[in-house]
Amino acid sequence: MWKILKIAQREYLDVVKTKTFILSILMTPAIIGVVIFFSSRTQRSVTGPQPPRKVVIADLTNQLTDDIKDSFEQHNKSHPQRQILLQEILTDIGSDEPIKQKVRDGQLNAYFVLDKDSIEGNGKIQSFTRSTKIIDLDLISNVESLLNSAIFNRRCKLKDVSQELLAQISELRRRVPNEIIDIGSASEQKKIEKGEQIAKIMASFFFMFMMFMGIFGMGQHMLTSVIEEKNSRVIEVLLSAVSPFELMAGKILGLAGISLTVMSLWSAAAIGTAYYGAAHWWNITLELPMGILPYFVIYFILGFLLFSSILAGIGSICNTLKEAQSLMMPISFLFILPMLVWFNIAQHPDGSLARILSFLPPLTPIVMTLRLAVSQDISLLEVFASIIMLALFVPLVMWLAAKIFRTGVLMYGKRPGLREVLRWLKSA
Amino acid sequence: MDALVLENVSKSFGDVRAVDKLSVQVPAGSVYGFLGPNGAGKTTTIRMIMNIIRPDKGLIKIFDDGATTQNKARIGYMPEERGLYRKMKVGKVLAFFGAIKGLSASELNFRVPQWLQQVDLTDWTNKKVEELSRGMHQKLQFAVTAINNPDLMILDEPFSGLDPVNQDLLKDIICRMRDEGKTILFSTHVMHEAERLCDFILLINKGKAVLDGRLDDIRSRYKSGAVSVELEGDTSFIRALPMVKTAETQGRRIEISLSEKADTQDLLKALVGRVKVKAFEVKIPSLHEIFVRLVARPEQPVVSEVEPGRRGRDNVEDS
Repeated sequence: MWKILKIAQREYLDVVKTKTFILSILMTPAIIGVVIFFSSRTQRSVTGPQPPRKVVIADLTNQLTDDIKDSFEQHNKSHPQRQILLQEILTDIGSDEPIKQKVRDGQLNAYFVLDKDSIEGNGKIQSFTRSTKIIDLDLISNVESLLNSAIFNRRCKLKDVSQELLAQISELRRRVPNEIIDIGSASEQKKIEKGEQIAKIMASFFFMFMMFMGIFGMGQHMLTSVIEEKNSRVIEVLLSAVSPFELMAGKILGLAGISLTVMSLWSAAAIGTAYYGAAHWWNITLELPMGILPYFVIYFILGFLLFSSILAGIGSICNTLKEAQSLMMPISFLFILPMLVWFNIAQHPDGSLARILSFLPPLTPIVMTLRLAVSQDISLLEVFASIIMLALFVPLVMWLAAKIFRTGVLMYGKRPGLREVLRWLKSA
Repeated sequence: MDALVLENVSKSFGDVRAVDKLSVQVPAGSVYGFLGPNGAGKTTTIRMIMNIIRPDKGLIKIFDDGATTQNKARIGYMPEERGLYRKMKVGKVLAFFGAIKGLSASELNFRVPQWLQQVDLTDWTNKKVEELSRGMHQKLQFAVTAINNPDLMILDEPFSGLDPVNQDLLKDIICRMRDEGKTILFSTHVMHEAERLCDFILLINKGKAVLDGRLDDIRSRYKSGAVSVELEGDTSFIRALPMVKTAETQGRRIEISLSEKADTQDLLKALVGRVKVKAFEVKIPSLHEIFVRLVARPEQPVVSEVEPGRRGRDNVEDS
């Protein structure tokens, strides 16, 4: 055990002391911070004041000019930050090519044509845009409803519906506001604001991401370390003093230490920022699902053991990092899979996809962390079943990896094929 | 007691028989040299002893009872290709390997500086390994091997790449360890290194033992029966002596070739009294000569005395 600890300690210091490691520890949150900063900037530009947009409308019904003007005026009055300037109302489209050209040139944001029988028949609106920006979609739906309200007003006038009746109808159509209340966790009821819901989803993503980084981020170090020792022949000296199993165990332990260091630093920074940000920027109280922390630790340990054993095995049969990386591809995919479907799992934490992925051992830690973070309704039975299954799978993989490691680490030259590796597993 | 026993050990790589039914007994407290040309099977044999590769057939016993794995703490191994952590500091590397060989912290505090001093690297304690020259690296590797004071030292080509001063430094340490009762087994392809150091030698060629035994016995077995004398007085009677086969005058000396089974002491007795003996030298065959006689074909010189191009700080760039 002393030997294993010594190897772990060396492995830990070897990585932690390097400048690249210190830089990467600082850089990653910095990069995330920059991304968040800019994304909140663009968010503000959607909700904040926008430059007025210019449109031209061709009213082929030839009856709506005043109604359209009215509804645009009303809109601009009630939305001072998102003005829509009606440049011109045409009544025929005989000479609208210059206008379309203006749209193409960007002098106009959009050009709308209202069909002749729009009021009584089945006419439609045609919208001409050079839409490359999402913001323009917003403009189009705005203008669409403005035109429709103009048509509605016109129809009312044609049917002699009085203003009083209209006012009554609109009073009758008043919508009842909806308040979503969470009674899931505590006796205390609280309103769920939209921001909080997003924060909850983001928190679950954060937990999953930490799990992923914690398990996966150390992979490179494991491969580099094994292959370096192999190439520099340190391995022969090492193995004259310790058993291959001790060496592998020491390496895994050392890397686990590194991983925990990184995760605790990042988590502290991220959780601190999130609480501060929630209170100061978004005006919401943030409740991170801290209850999952014990599960997080269990899943992390098991997942880390699993992945780093696989990597030690792979590293041991390769002579260069390149070889190892090509072998790692399929395994990496396995671990990335939950990242690809995370949104689906976050939305349906009790769905069958989430359930199935939870019981595929390499995916269990990441998927279960995500599910537990997003929902309080995962049954304890399922949690324990997945832990037990993982706990049975891990020693099996470690045992196989240790066998491969023992033989592979002292082999030089050509990388052994699958058949040869299987032979080692049988013979040793 | 034998420190190491090999019985009929064989190993093949594909069609090549690297080691062929090799049997050796290494007595405890001796210096044993594995000699042979490049590719003779020395390193393969050592790697099998260290359990790095497994023999196809045969038995390897260490300290009479066990396998290598059970006796790791008692064995120090220096591989042919030196490897240490390049980015670590010299003192730290030595302490790390000491620790995984089971030394306690207090022992390390004492032994690390002691060994660095013995191999003359004290000034380099806080330098990184990659800054060392090849020769220094090798001395450090030796210190790593010896740090836990193992009972059996297995050294693969320990002298290659060392200048004569450092070769002597290492030889002195090896001799001292032998005097302390340690067993040292080393391989070399440079015969005169073995000649000065070994109690026993094993000559290997193409995986087979060509010659095995105590160095003194081997020498007397392969003695050429040649004596070189320098005499004063009438020497004409020498040719007529019964034990003398031929005698040739070369300058001041006479080179005498004795007949088989003749004893050099009889020759000396026959000379003393009749002439004044100023010099009497029994010509001992060098291992080099013995080896060449046994295995080398004339068109193919197998043994090179000097390794070319392996001097100085030539490993600084390849970091």
